[in-house]
This record gives sequence, structure tokens and C-alpha cells, in this order.
Amino acid sequence: MIRLGGGSTIGRVVATEALPAGPHQFHFWTAIDTAIGIGAIVRVDAENGRTVYAVVVDGRAYSDLATPLHEVVAAEGDPAGDRAPTRRTEIRLWTAAVLRHEPDEPIQPVPLADVLLATEQDVEAALRMDGYVRGEQPTGIPIGVYRAGGLAAPVYLDADFLLGPESAHLNISGVSGLATKTSAVEFLLSSIFQRLPSHKGSVAALCFNVKGPDLCFLDQPTELTEADEELYSVMGLAPRPFEKVHYFAPYKADGVNLNTLRSNAALVGDVQPLVWGLREVLDYHEVLLNRDDIDAKADAFLDFLADRVVDKQFRDEWGNTHRVGSFADLQLLFKAIFDGLEAAGRGDSWRTHHIATIRKVRNRLLNISTRCRGLVTDDGTVSDLPFGRFEDRSVYVLDVAGMDQLGQDLVFTRVVTRLREHLERGDLGVDHVVVFVDELNKYAPADGPDTYVRKMLLDISERGRYLGLVLFAAQQFRSQVHRRVVGNAGTLVFGRMDMDELAMPGYQVLSPATKIKLATLPPGALVVPRPPFSQPLFVRVPRPAVLQGPAGVKRFPPAADVPFEEAVVRQLTAMDKRIAPARIRDCIAGRREDDVRRALLATARTRPDDVEGYFKASLGPAVRREAAGRDQDATTPLRSVEDPYAT
Amino acid sequence: MADALRSAGGTVGAGALLTHVAPPVASPFGTASHVEGECILAIDVGGPAPPPEAVAFLDGIQRYAVEGRFGLVPVVRGYAAAAVLEREGTELGVARALQEEFLVVARSRLTPDQEAALEDVDLPIVECDAAERSHPILDVQLAAKAVQRRREVVEAELAAAHIEEAPGSWLVVDGSLGGIGALEDGARVVGLVKSHETQFLEGADLEVALTLPEGHRTSVFARTAGARGRVFSFYLRLWPWQEHDLLHGLVRIERPPGEAAVAEASEVSRWLLAERAPLSAPDGRWDRLIYPIRQVETFLRAQAGGWW
Repeated sequence: MIRLGGGSTIGRVVATEALPAGPHQFHFWTAIDTAIGIGAIVRVDAENGRTVYAVVVDGRAYSDLATPLHEVVAAEGDPAGDRAPTRRTEIRLWTAAVLRHEPDEPIQPVPLADVLLATEQDVEAALRMDGYVRGEQPTGIPIGVYRAGGLAAPVYLDADFLLGPESAHLNISGVSGLATKTSAVEFLLSSIFQRLPSHKGSVAALCFNVKGPDLCFLDQPTELTEADEELYSVMGLAPRPFEKVHYFAPYKADGVNLNTLRSNAALVGDVQPLVWGLREVLDYHEVLLNRDDIDAKADAFLDFLADRVVDKQFRDEWGNTHRVGSFADLQLLFKAIFDGLEAAGRGDSWRTHHIATIRKVRNRLLNISTRCRGLVTDDGTVSDLPFGRFEDRSVYVLDVAGMDQLGQDLVFTRVVTRLREHLERGDLGVDHVVVFVDELNKYAPADGPDTYVRKMLLDISERGRYLGLVLFAAQQFRSQVHRRVVGNAGTLVFGRMDMDELAMPGYQVLSPATKIKLATLPPGALVVPRPPFSQPLFVRVPRPAVLQGPAGVKRFPPAADVPFEEAVVRQLTAMDKRIAPARIRDCIAGRREDDVRRALLATARTRPDDVEGYFKASLGPAVRREAAGRDQDATTPLRSVEDPYAT
Repeated sequence: MADALRSAGGTVGAGALLTHVAPPVASPFGTASHVEGECILAIDVGGPAPPPEAVAFLDGIQRYAVEGRFGLVPVVRGYAAAAVLEREGTELGVARALQEEFLVVARSRLTPDQEAALEDVDLPIVECDAAERSHPILDVQLAAKAVQRRREVVEAELAAAHIEEAPGSWLVVDGSLGGIGALEDGARVVGLVKSHETQFLEGADLEVALTLPEGHRTSVFARTAGARGRVFSFYLRLWPWQEHDLLHGLVRIERPPGEAAVAEASEVSRWLLAERAPLSAPDGRWDRLIYPIRQVETFLRAQAGGWW
């Protein structure tokens, strides 16, 4: 193998009537031992001063053998016979797709001239990176390293293109199991955080962890190979984990063990509970309630509750004043309504809403806290993302991997809506938010029901760029993702792909050789097709300098679920190692679990310096429990109306 | 027809369709004398064997075009080139090459002004014979012979250079050694003659030579080679001729006269048999044209390009 640096003559353009050189494609031959291959960038200089940059998209080799029969005759029919003393003359004939003409006009066929291997400056010019890599205010974000013929050159994307307002959004496709997609996004986020210039504003990332421990260790370093470190060096990036990562996870059904694989005692202290109450849920009831159940009448009653009742002073017809801030408060309101109607002897309607509608809404709403137990609480305590206080260069990881589909839908919808609302008002705390969602085949399929999650993803894709809301999305099969989600992605990235997938119409623009190379890409190699570049470009991407999920689970084995008391002790001691477990056990002994849970949540949300003191203050003094005369939570069924919606 | 031929002891040919009378053979007969034995025998060389490590191949080409005339006198522009491709391992590479461009004209028929005008052209002038009477075709043929002689000179220069600079290497020359200068006994030069217009043997000797089985050679004989004296030669059958014609796969090998030519005849035959692969098809002469010689031709034609 001949190793060449950039700028060496490696071939000559050839053109025949059957294989002419056009303005967008041409052919050239090289020596048999050449350093170039599919994806290499080359330069052709014409005598009249024109320069053409192109990328190799196909290659062929053939000899002067007219028909295989001649070989059979020469070998006298014996393939194991003596080798011929002379090797036939061969040719390496390459096809290159034009990336750029200089000057841009007039566009003419590629001159029949020498072909040179691109230098680093040529790569910059060929990919039109010179417009944003150089100058007084460069906006180049390294996305990988172009390597061919002994040259390693960084490849940049324009921050305006990657994060908006031009184009924006990134979509990455690739087969599962090679850690390509998640790794690539982690690397890209790190690159953005390190290189987004200050004049482009602040940026944060919000990552939905939808699979196992994928994104649970972004703040933990990992060992890199020399090759990876070299790639970082070429791009001028520091191989380091994210400095500011905020983890959020709902509780499990027990309401005290966090529903995350980042539950090792050494790390769980950094995980904040994600807990919502009635108000957080009510605005997104359409996500949770079955459309078949919620008709126009139920919708009207829900709107009534949202507009007139929740978080407001509400006086009913029977002299009771309600302030509904939680599902528990809502339960009391419904009880008062039913009791009042029974006492008044009229059981058909209340404030124009039929009693059956009220019963149905009650049953569906109160069921939410059961169906989303761990995320939604009855008592109104809330631990939420710091909307309005997002920090520059921070990653917010929402671990929804352990949640069921309904809970995930609710989290997606509400979080994205809140992000959009804050960005519209300009009070999120940062100028850009990158939202990373994996498994688009599941969340934004081309076919299937029109879910709220898909609506949200479409909304980000189509309108996010103006707000600074940027979608980085990944999936296995791009062809099976909603066309508008994929179509709105300004930057496409491919990892290794299935040949079946590459046979779909969306990949017709790729040459057969590019497709075959795509189907056999090693981990760490990516293709950036057009856009943003005018032809597909192969780049090497280093492993992210963060601990990958499976390795993280090995290094930090998740803690097993523990009884309530022990879980409280662990979470508090994880926040402050000076706390004596025995004191906490004494403190919570005999207390209602809901009270302890509320105090723990308040402490986790506030992160005070004096964790123990704050927890005890939140818990309040112990009160002796007295036996109640009757079950306060029970609702007496109305005699006059049959309840067809009771669950 | 085939049955009729076979029944009476004949052989069946290829049955190629012909339409034109072949041009007359300029020198149909030459003379020869036995060197190896008292008569020509068919000798089995023992099958192909690997060629020597150091082998080179020489060939030449010529081009000419009538550029114009002074009256009836043609002015011909000629081009002659030759190259030696050396084999390293299994790869052929250009060892040396020469090319010439020149004018050919019968000076004796030009006026001083015409001669002066040609001398102003930046090309050497080569004298050619002039026919007794002007003839538009014959005059051009005489000029073409001059071009051919220049090609032979160029080939001879290259051969001499190669022999001097690579004395341990074998040199396989396309065609007769007649044009190459005097060669010592044992010089590692092989002439590979594909055309059989001139027959040096006769009678039973000729029949043995022309009906050689595949992988056989004839005994070595000496043929007259113009003023230079003798060249040792033998026939070698590369491919079976049955179902084709007598000359199919038949080459005549020439070597500098001497004991080495006889001693090395079978060895040279064996490695020339190995040179049958790769096949030089689709060239019509594939049965006698070995691939490396074809590659020299291909190189020279590519170098000449659109010479005109």
C-alpha cells in the first residue's frame, strides 16, 4: 500500500463517449496500489484555473481479459494449475461525485486533468466549511474526522445549521446493538458544549433515556483507546465527560425507590425524583385519557375543572370552600358534590354537567395516579425540571426507561410543551435546547395511531428551529419514521445499516458502493449524507468520553429495591454522607409513609446544605394518630343513579 | 467432407471463410542446415516450466502518413518506436523505450528548393530508394520500407542497450533476430517468429516441423540470415493444431548460433510453453502471440496514441 499525504497526484480523469465526464460526476484511474477508496475526497485542477472537488462514490477494477473463457483455455481447464508468469494488466477506475466547483459559475464538465488527493485545506473547501470555520466569528462544530490516504482532517458543521435558525435538527439511523447512535449523539453534544461560540448563545441538552442504562453515566469518565484520543486531538476537543449532568427519574410504585438503573449508592444522590401532581397532569389529560372515553361532555367538565377549580378558591352550592391542588383534594371535591346532590335529592346534574359524566371523569382522573404511580402523586407534592433555570452547557437526563408507555407519553408531552412555552417567552434559562430522543420507530412511526408524543416530535421538527428547540433523534429504520420528522432534520447521519433498509426508496440517492460500505461500517464510522454536504461523506467519530450504559452498570451495579425505611435512609445519606442512618430511622419511625415521602421529596428537590435538618423540618413534629369514626376517603354511592363507569 | 479427408489419412482444418487472394509471399523459401542431428525430429520438451526470473520482452511499432507531394514525389512522415518491458515477479514494467519521428523522401527527385523547405521542418530526413519510374503506390511502398528499417534500427538499439545493461537477463524479441546486431554464442536472446512466410526446411523435415504435436519442438537447425551469416532456429508447437490448420500455435524460435542454442533449446521451449498463460486473446494471433509481447505492443500503441 502506498501511503500518501494530501496533495499528491494519484490519478487522471478519463472520459469516453460511454463514460463521459460531466459537471456532477466523472471517472479517473489510479495505480493498483492506491491510498484512496470509497469516500475519499479528491481535487482536479484545470489549466484554466478552475478547481473541482469531489468525493469517490464508486470503484471498479478490471483487466484486459475479454471473456472468462480465455482464462479457462490458458489454464487448460485446471484452476489449480501453475500460475501464469505474467499478471494481466488491470485498471482501478473510480467514479467521483462533485462536491464543489471553484469558481461556482459557470458549471462545466470536469476537466480531463490530474487527480490529487485532498489536503486539509481542500477538505475544508470541498465541504464548503471555509465559510464558517474561518473568519472573525467561526461557528464550526466538529462532528468527526475525515480520513483517507493518510490524511486526517476534522469535519465541521455550521452551528447555525445544526442548532438553527437555519435548518436545525439531526437524525441518526443505524442498526441496534453497536452503540453507534447513542455514542454519536453523546459525542456530538460534547462537541457542541465545547465549541459552540459564545456569540451563538447558551445551550443545554435534554435527553430522554428510554432504554436501560444508556444515558445514566454521562458524568462518569471512561478509558479511551489511543485511536480515539487521536481523533479528539485532530478535532481539538478534550476527551472528558459532561461536567454538569442533572438526572431525573420517577419513583417506582412504592413511591420511594427511584425507577432508574443509576441507583448505586455512590450515584443515586445525584438523581432527583420526577414527581408531578394534579396541575402538572390535568393540562395533559388528553395524553392519559382514552379518546373513546372522553367525549365532548367529559371534555367540557375537564375544562371546567381546569379553569375554575384547580388551584383556585372554589365554593360549592353547599357552603364548602375547596382549594384543589392535588388528587386527594380532587377526591374530596367529588365527594362533596356527590354528597351534596344526594342531600338535595337531585341526582341528575351539577352545574349543567350530568352526574354520569362527572362520575366518568372522576373515575378516569383518580385512576391516573394509580396508573402512573411513582410519577404522579395524590398529595400534590411536585419535583420537576428546573424550567426557567436551565443552565448553559448542562445535560438534563430524564430516565423514563422503567416507565410504562402511558407514563412515557405523559413525560414527553409535558416536558416538550413546557420547553416550547419557556423558549417562546425566552425565559428557559438558555437560548437553545437539544432534545435527544432515541427509538423514533416507536415514538414517531410512519404508520400507526396519531399519538401525542408523535405530535410533539412533529411540532419540534417543524417549528422548533425558530425557538432554539432542536431535536436530535435516532432510530433503526429511517424509512419507518414519520416523513415530516425525518424530512425536517437538517443533518442526517447514518451508522451501519441493514441492506433491507438500504433497499428502501429513501436511499436511492446513494451509490451501490456507498450502500455496501454503509452495510459494513465498523462502530465509530458514520456517513453524513446530503444534507448538509452535497454528497455523502464518511467520517470517523471517537467513542464518547463517558461511561457507556453496560459498562456503567458493571462499575456501578444498581442497588436492589429496599424497604421503605431503608430507601429513605439511603437517599438521605447519599445526599449528605455525614448523616447517621440511625437518627433518620428514629425520626421516621411511626410516621405516615406519605408524610415521610413528601419530606424526602422536598429535601431532594431543594438540596439544602443541612439535609438532615431540612428533612426533619419538612417532616414536622409527630402527631398521634387517632382512629377515625368512618373512612373519610370513601364515597357513598348515589342510590338514584347507576354508575356505569365504576372501575 | 471431414469424413472424406479422415478416411484417406488427411487432417481436418478450421474451415475459415476467405474472400480475397492473399498477397504474394515476398521470400517464400530460405536455406537451412541441420545442427542437432542429421534430420529434423519432433522432440517432446516435457511440458511447461517456470520461466527464468529475469526476462524482458522487446517489440517495436511503426506508423507513417503521406504528408504531401512535390509533384509526384511523396513526402512521408514516419514514426518508429520500440520498448522493452521487464518482468519483476509477475508484473511487467517499462525498462526502456525509444521513439523517433522523421520525414522520408527520395532526395534524388527533389529540387534544391524543395529539399531546403523540408530541412526547415524540425524533423530528421531519411532517404528512401527511388523507383526507376514514378509510381504513386510503389513510391509510397518504398518510403514505408524505409520506415520499417528505422523501426528495426530502433529495436536493435534497444536490444543492444538491454544486453549491455542487463547481461544476466533473457530478452525475448518479437520476430526474427535478423535485424539485431551480431550476437555472441550464449547470448540470452530469443527471437519469437510468428509468421511462416519463409520456409527454410523442405521435404520430410518440413512436414515434421509443420505437424509438430503440442508441447514438442523440432531439432535445432541453422538458417541463413542475410549478410550476417547464420541464426540457429527450431519450431515449437504452443497449442494443438488439429481441428485448426498447420500453422495454428506454431512459432519458430531463433537463437544466436552456438552450442548454447542447442543445449538450451528444450529449456527455452518449456518456459515459452508456460508463457501461453495468460492468453493474449482476443488478439487474432493469440495462438502464437505470448501475452508479454502483446503488452509491449499495447504500451507502444498507447504511447503513439493519436500519432498522425
